[in-house]
Order: sequence, then C-alpha cells, then structure tokens
Amino acid sequence: MTVLNILITYHMAFLQGLRVTMELCLVIWTTGIILGITLGVVGANAPHSWGRFTRAMSFAFSAIPTLVVLFWLHYPAQAVFNVVIDPFYTASLTLSLVNIFGVGEMVRQAVRDFPRQYIIAGRVCGLSSRDLVTHIQLPILFRQLIPGLMVQQVGMLHATLFASLISVEEIFRVSQRINSTIYRPVEIYTALAFFFLAVCLPINLAAAYLKRRYTRDFSER
Amino acid sequence: MLEVRNLNFSYTDKPLLKNINLKLTPDGITALIGPSGCGKTTLLRCMALLDMPQSGEIQVDDQVFRYPWAENVIFTPPWPKLTTVFQQLFLWPHLTLRENILLPVRRRHIADTNGELDALIDAFDMGSFIDNYPNEASLGQRQRVALARAVMLKPRYLLLDEITSALDVEQIAKILTYLKSLRGQNIGIFIITHLLGFARHASDQVIFMVNGEIEESGGPDILKTPKTERLFNFLSVIAAAS
Repeated sequence: MTVLNILITYHMAFLQGLRVTMELCLVIWTTGIILGITLGVVGANAPHSWGRFTRAMSFAFSAIPTLVVLFWLHYPAQAVFNVVIDPFYTASLTLSLVNIFGVGEMVRQAVRDFPRQYIIAGRVCGLSSRDLVTHIQLPILFRQLIPGLMVQQVGMLHATLFASLISVEEIFRVSQRINSTIYRPVEIYTALAFFFLAVCLPINLAAAYLKRRYTRDFSER
Repeated sequence: MLEVRNLNFSYTDKPLLKNINLKLTPDGITALIGPSGCGKTTLLRCMALLDMPQSGEIQVDDQVFRYPWAENVIFTPPWPKLTTVFQQLFLWPHLTLRENILLPVRRRHIADTNGELDALIDAFDMGSFIDNYPNEASLGQRQRVALARAVMLKPRYLLLDEITSALDVEQIAKILTYLKSLRGQNIGIFIITHLLGFARHASDQVIFMVNGEIEESGGPDILKTPKTERLFNFLSVIAAAS
C-alpha cells in the first residue's frame, strides 16, 4: 500500500482526525491570540499586578512540560474535583492556557520595551493618544511580533499531538489507529508528515509574506 | 512669548539646571551655546515640556506651567504649537521619510501639505531619498527630514537640538539659510548649536551656559566681546580648535 493508497482508503478517518485537529487549533489560536494579546497589554500597563502574574504563569507553563499539565488536568484534577470532562475540552483548555501565557508574555515584553522616543516624537508633533496607538505603537509592535507569533502558533499546532495521549481523536491518534490495523508505519507517518507540511506550509508562507511585507530591519546607519 | 523663570531641575541630588531665566525672542532666533554636559539638552527638554522641573515656571503664550506640578492638575502641553527636533531625531522606523513628515500634518488636518512639502523637499535637497525608510538614509538626511517634519506643523515655537551635527558644510548653509528665512513668519526658534558662526550671524539672542547655569546672554555681539571669562575661554578653545 502506497501513501496515496492509504490516504484514499482511509480518507474519511483522516478527514475526521483533521477536523478535530483543526477544531483544537481554532480554539487554541483564537483564545491564545485574543486573550494573550489582551493579557500582554494589560500586563505591560500594570507591571506589578498583571505583569507579574503573566510573567509567573508564562514561566510556569514554559517550565512544566505541556504533557504533564495535560495529564494533570485530565487525571488527578478531575479525580480531585470528581468531575468527568470530555478530553477534547481538557486538551483545548491546556493548550489554550499554554498559548495564552506564551503570547501574553511575548506581547508584554514587546509593549514594555517599546521605544519611548517614538511616542515622545509623536507627542511633540501633536499626535493624539489614539493616533499614537493606531499609527505608531500598533504598527511597530505588529511588525515586531509577527515572526514570534507565527512560530508560536505553528508550535501549538504541533502540540495538538499531545491530545492523542488523552484519547482525543485528532489526526495523530487516527494515524496510530490505522497503523495498528494495517501496520504500515512508514507510509502512515509519511502521510502524516505530508499533512503537517500541507497545513504548516500556508502558515509559513503567510508568515514569510507578512514578514517580507511588514517587518524590516529598523536599525539605522 | 516663551519664557522660563527661575527653573531648577535635577535627576538626582545634583542639580542640572540652576535658576534658569530666559525669554525666547519672538519671531527670532535664540542660540544656546556651551560646553558638552552643561545641561543644554536638559533645558531644551524642560522647555519642550517633556521633563518636569522641580521648581520654576515656563510660560508659553498665555499658558503658564508652574512647578512643582500639582498632581491633580491635568497637564496639557501646547504641542505642536511648541515642537522639538531632537538630536537623536526619533523618526518612526516603519514609515518612509515622506510619511514621517506627512503623518502628523495629516492627523492635525493642516492644509496645503503637498505644495509646502514640495518646497521643503527642494529647499533641503531631499528629493533623492524622501521615499526611503529612515534606516536607508544617512544621519544628515534624517536630520533634514526631522526638521521638515517640525516645520510642516507650522509651530509657534521651534526648539532644535544640534540638528546640523551630521551635515556637510553645504547642507548646513542651506538649513541655516532656511532657518533665517523663517524670520517674519512668527516662529520663535531656540537652537542648541556648536556653530558659532551661525550664532554670530543669524541669531538675535545668544545664551551661554555652563554647569547648568546661564553664564552670559545678550545679542550676538557677546561672541565678539564676551563679558565673562568663561565665555572668553570657551570661544578661545573653539577658535583654537577650528
């Protein structure tokens, strides 16, 4: 059986796994970007309260392996609170938290380190606070953050594979189940690799386009 | 009228500005000279209402800023009626040089930007690089753009911090000729400069500062016949160096 044959034969199962992976990504990316940016901005403007919280949580989530958090939320936490939560939601929550605090810390640092002189130059030129945010701060921050944010989101896509370990029927788990049926690991994992390439390629192309279009070397001669 | 009265400023215990009193010549050029580190830029930043002095007053037309500033009083500086060109320029890196000039002008809805910008592009020889980004331009080119950005805002008071430091002799002459041409347009110019020739020939008032204090001030003739020994020595050192 070739890779193509496997993809054709099990296309329904792959599509189902793909749908679950994409649903996971949708939740993780949306919450991560919206809440992460909000948290980062708030954290930069309130460094002693939200800023510390963001920093601490970001450190915790980067220090503790995602898999440990995922397993902890899936097994002990649910046992302690005597609840049973659908693994999809547990995975969504875990990975969203990782993404929110990852994006939040990235944004907090970028806002905190934003060169004050550009704001001062805008003020003496009579720009309003709104103009300063929309025409100076946001465009410069956007350009600074694009590459890091894109890398983070691709990393979160890869992290969805962990969800297979708590029985979420995402693409990796589907591939493992097909492999256990036909035992063609080379072809199946090659097909999986092509899948990730196909999904990551547009993201990477978009990142490259945005980087080319909006980010430049700002350093002056 | 832009007037500074009894201004004192320090970052730490060591005072950087001591009892400064000066009045900007309206519709004229005031040159501030002095050795490096004497507090010229600090004074300019205070006059631009960017730093908060510990005591004193700054009056910009009918607005009086009294220090120490009361915490419950809203601070509303009259920017860009009072505007500044910094020594470090601070051009926005994501915009082309043309956009750097036009953004504040457009946001302030100042009319006739195109004709005036074209005239400035000609006056400052900016045609060959005006659509480049700041990091694609030399320091001298950026200095001209920063000045153009400020001038386009039609300020009443223009504070300039060594804006000719990276220009060649020809460009310096053009910029200084342009500044002189602003006389009669109701703009009070305050310029920190090391160009004694400019201070001598173009300014209406010269202020000499040492160690955070105004040592001597008056018309440009003080550069020919200084009254204080400090200014005499300063001029002698510069004359010897040049």
